[in-house]
Amino acid sequence: MLQITGLAKTLGSFSLKGVNLSIEDGEYFIVLGPTGAGKTILLETIAGIHTPDTGSISMNGIEISRMDPKERGVGMVYQDYMLFPHLTVGENIGFGLKQRSIDPAAVREQVRDVAEMLGIGHLLERSPETLSGGEQQRAAIARALIIKPRILLLDEPLSALDVTTRERLRRELATIHRMMKTTIIHITHHFEDLFALADRVAIMQDGTVVQVGTPEEIFQTPATEFVASFTGMENVFHGRARIRDGEARIELGPISLRTVAEIEGDVYVGIRPEEVIVSREPFESSAVNTFQGSVTEIRQNGMFSRIVVDAGGVPFVCALTRQSIRRLGLAEGEAVYLTFKASAVHAFPR
Amino acid sequence: MGRLHRRFSGTTIFSATFLAISAALFIFMVAVIAGLVLYPSLPELIASLTSQEIIFAVQLSLITSAVSTALCVVVAVPVAYAMTRFSFPGKSLANVIVNLPLSLPPLVAGVALLIFFGPSLVGTVLRASGIDIVYTVTAIIVAQFFVNVPYMIRVTRSAFEMINPRYEYVARTLGCTEWAAFRQVTLPLASQGLIAGLVITWSKSIGEFGAVLLLAGATVMKTETLPIAVYLNISTGELNEAIAASVILIGIALVSLLVFERYGDGKRIV
Repeated sequence: MLQITGLAKTLGSFSLKGVNLSIEDGEYFIVLGPTGAGKTILLETIAGIHTPDTGSISMNGIEISRMDPKERGVGMVYQDYMLFPHLTVGENIGFGLKQRSIDPAAVREQVRDVAEMLGIGHLLERSPETLSGGEQQRAAIARALIIKPRILLLDEPLSALDVTTRERLRRELATIHRMMKTTIIHITHHFEDLFALADRVAIMQDGTVVQVGTPEEIFQTPATEFVASFTGMENVFHGRARIRDGEARIELGPISLRTVAEIEGDVYVGIRPEEVIVSREPFESSAVNTFQGSVTEIRQNGMFSRIVVDAGGVPFVCALTRQSIRRLGLAEGEAVYLTFKASAVHAFPR
Repeated sequence: MGRLHRRFSGTTIFSATFLAISAALFIFMVAVIAGLVLYPSLPELIASLTSQEIIFAVQLSLITSAVSTALCVVVAVPVAYAMTRFSFPGKSLANVIVNLPLSLPPLVAGVALLIFFGPSLVGTVLRASGIDIVYTVTAIIVAQFFVNVPYMIRVTRSAFEMINPRYEYVARTLGCTEWAAFRQVTLPLASQGLIAGLVITWSKSIGEFGAVLLLAGATVMKTETLPIAVYLNISTGELNEAIAASVILIGIALVSLLVFERYGDGKRIV
């Protein structure tokens, strides 16, 4: 287990201000936050590049915050790959083993194995700059994995890639995690990564961790306004997507949603509260999702209020202005209809 | 050519004026340099080039510049790295001090060195312990080092600044000590810049005159480097020997310029 307690570090204009985190062995842990939140310093401090100003980092009960990076058993992968340009891809991947004075033949064999696993076995003689972004990132991951790190640190590993490559590599990361069972700490600002990869998530803002939880918890109950605006979807449900007669549906227990996303299997569904229309009577429209429910909660805050409507056991959060609540005469226990378009139903594969 | 140059055929008064000034300067420079090289007859030039005095000057220049350049590299690499990667109190002041000899006339640097190793306390103590620098071959090396180490630091520093420190971070997580990461990653990535710095430092060392003249003096066949040979022979009217030494210096300048153009414009390694 990795235990971070009261970690503070200032580096130029970036700083960590008392970070507390505990990460279980084998966990896929995602750190989400905007640029400048201190995410990279956090990773580099865990890796041992920076010595904390105050606070401690311990691994399985052993304090490591003053230990040399090479003693920590930590692999590091950056967004922009950082493959050594003066070495071939194969020499890059084997770099860590070479430091351990391992027999060159054994190094070559292990390099080949890990490169094959990542589908870059045919690129070992090439120079890194001749590779595509996705290939370079695979090489960087291979270079980190070959030393069998106890913790793999990924700093926005998918951000520099095009959409298709990003999705493919995201699936590969999930596979690698399943196979290697390494603890992974992954920094991102893409919330798709959360659903596809994360066991748990920490939200960082201004150098501190503002919330830790499962992806569902983070999206359903954002602890702060920041998290809410950052994620933007308070209606997050777990369901099963199916395509039947050319129609994509997501089963949420008793109710089923129509969606435009053509995926099947285990998914998370996200719906923004602003996209749900609340009415007293059902009405004819182009929006295909309509459910009857009852108001269970009204939260007045700011210009928009949040009302929670229970529809068939699923709690939907809807955003309404105060004037609308007054005009419709809404109160707790009242029966209402919810309407939203299929395109408002965002599905993320789990 | 990748860039869009205006065609010569589309001449305007503006472009014609600027091109004419450029051409005039180009012709002037070539005429001056070629005039020097072509002034003596070829047999005279060869005779001077192979004279005992010039051969001595070439040897002395090669040895002293090689030693002083090696010293410059050994000192400049850690200083340049420290000034790129570390923050320490007084860094901006250190920056000014280390760059001062760049803008200082070498003659002034020579006077300062002469006082330092001569009548000053340090010089007195050194002499008392049997080390006399002034007017020796060692003085040539010291003078060349003092004047040129800022150049080496400058070029090396810009080479280090072009290297993203994350390369070293990754190397250290992969099992390198700080020393090993520096040797296996940073130095190879900076090699082009280092070569460029080495060449410019070496060529400036060979050509160094003012500081060498004051600290090492101008003694024939003793502290007579190539520039000192030019000076001595001009002052005694031995024009051919002075030209021979100059021709060698021009050749060295040309070669080092070509090498610097080739390696000096390093790509940014991010």
